[in-house]
Amino acid sequence: MGSYGLATHIWNNNLKSILLLAGFPILLLLLNYGLNVGFVGLMRDDLTPGEGLSLAFQYMQQSWPFAFIGAAIWFLIAWVSYQSLINLSTGARGVTRDEEPELYNLLENLCISRGITTPRLSIIDSPAMNAFASGLSDRNYSITLTRGLVDALDHDEIEAVMGHELTHIRNRDVRLLMVAVIFVGIFSFIGELVFRNMFGTGVRVGGHSSSRKGDSRGGGVLILVAIALIALAYLLAMVIRFSLSQKREYLADAGSVELTKKPDAMISALQKISGHSTIDAPDEVRQMMIENSARFAGVFATHPPVEKRIAALETYAAGRAPSPAHSQVASGPWD
Amino acid sequence: MSIRIRLSFGIAARCERPYITDPGQGANGGLLLEGELMSGLLIFLIVIVLVVLFVVGIYNRIVGLNQRADQAYADIDVQLRQRHDLIPNLVETVKGYASHERGTLEEVIQARNGAVAAEGPAAQGVAEGVLNAALGKLFALAEAYPDLKANTNFLELQRQLSDVENKLAAARRFFNNAVQEFNTAIQQIPGNFVAPMGGFKQREFFEIPEGSRAEVSAAPSVKF
Repeated sequence: MGSYGLATHIWNNNLKSILLLAGFPILLLLLNYGLNVGFVGLMRDDLTPGEGLSLAFQYMQQSWPFAFIGAAIWFLIAWVSYQSLINLSTGARGVTRDEEPELYNLLENLCISRGITTPRLSIIDSPAMNAFASGLSDRNYSITLTRGLVDALDHDEIEAVMGHELTHIRNRDVRLLMVAVIFVGIFSFIGELVFRNMFGTGVRVGGHSSSRKGDSRGGGVLILVAIALIALAYLLAMVIRFSLSQKREYLADAGSVELTKKPDAMISALQKISGHSTIDAPDEVRQMMIENSARFAGVFATHPPVEKRIAALETYAAGRAPSPAHSQVASGPWD
Repeated sequence: MSIRIRLSFGIAARCERPYITDPGQGANGGLLLEGELMSGLLIFLIVIVLVVLFVVGIYNRIVGLNQRADQAYADIDVQLRQRHDLIPNLVETVKGYASHERGTLEEVIQARNGAVAAEGPAAQGVAEGVLNAALGKLFALAEAYPDLKANTNFLELQRQLSDVENKLAAARRFFNNAVQEFNTAIQQIPGNFVAPMGGFKQREFFEIPEGSRAEVSAAPSVKF
């Protein structure tokens, strides 16, 4: 079902997010299968590739519980350690209502209108223009803006940025994307482990007499297949993680319009920020920023390109990109 | 899963009957037919359930979009009410300085009352347009009274009206977007069959004729 308005845009992106997230357990099974194939390839030299593949498939029936339990344990450990990493401040100062009354009021009004607990507001003394949301639970949700952003954007645009970050918090995106990052971590760890051991085994196999090679031909092919499967699982996991991140960004833009009813402000904020958003921060934090000038473009970017975001706002949220003649000074028809 | 059920039903059917009930039909012939009939019925029921779920999903989606449009409309109402509340104060302030401009003041009051009384997006849009025209005349005329223009009360009301105007514009666009989404949903293919069930009709947009305001912005702004 195509999107043709704000609500359908949001529903469709949520649906896609769920489907993407469901891809992770499937990839876990794929990884499991790949490991089984590699195992069979290493241990059994007497099978043809076809037999080896189906044997590995049979092993799946016993091995998949271990795979999932192993993943769950990994998950718990990584979750606890990530929590402290995210809470790490990037030089952000928490601001009180007295220090920045206008900003605080802006944030508070947005929260009151939807019955959300007001998150903590922080400011980074950086000339770059960016903002991010962080926190995994009601107790430590916070929104951070840079000084550059606060100075360069007008009232409506700051409101739009806050709406964007607030939507991230409401949608619990930090948690969701952390799940994705941890999953990718599992695949990358296993992948590296396998590759390093692979090269070790390869050296050993190569050391044996070449007559062995004829016998272990089946095993060698299986090992190659295993490597391919594991690499594929890792690649697809990354694709899922970045797709998920991009979908959440579209949702956050749409959510901002829902909160503020001003799509034009969101568009002009994006225009002002793009190109000036580079800021030093760990990847986990950059994930949640309003704009992340992609080191890798296209599929492996955490954020969709600004043009696409603006196009989506124009198509689904009745936004209009401001013309050069449009005055940025907030004035009304009766002034 | 369905295959297993079919088999189990078939087997259950086979087990319940004795070996041969009607030799004329042949032992297996009559009994297998019974099993297949059961499984055919089951599949039919599953399809019916799926269709019902699908229809329910579409219907709920349409209801959701309708509710969003209603909520957006309520937001417009809030802004309109604020606007209407500011006008009597404005008229009083202007009266203090330009009491003989009765014609214009009367026009504003009448337009305001008309806007308050209007119902439904289309009628309200027209009424607000009339009010805009009257307000335009009022502010144009205020240009000729420097004392009025300097009056702090007047300036504050002017600012508030502009602010409401901006919020109204935003609320209008949001409402029209929601209406467009709803109208599209009940016109596109799965929705257009389901919509009559709930009596859903196309909604009207909220348009304020812009012509009146264009005249005002073109008026010469005399700066002293």
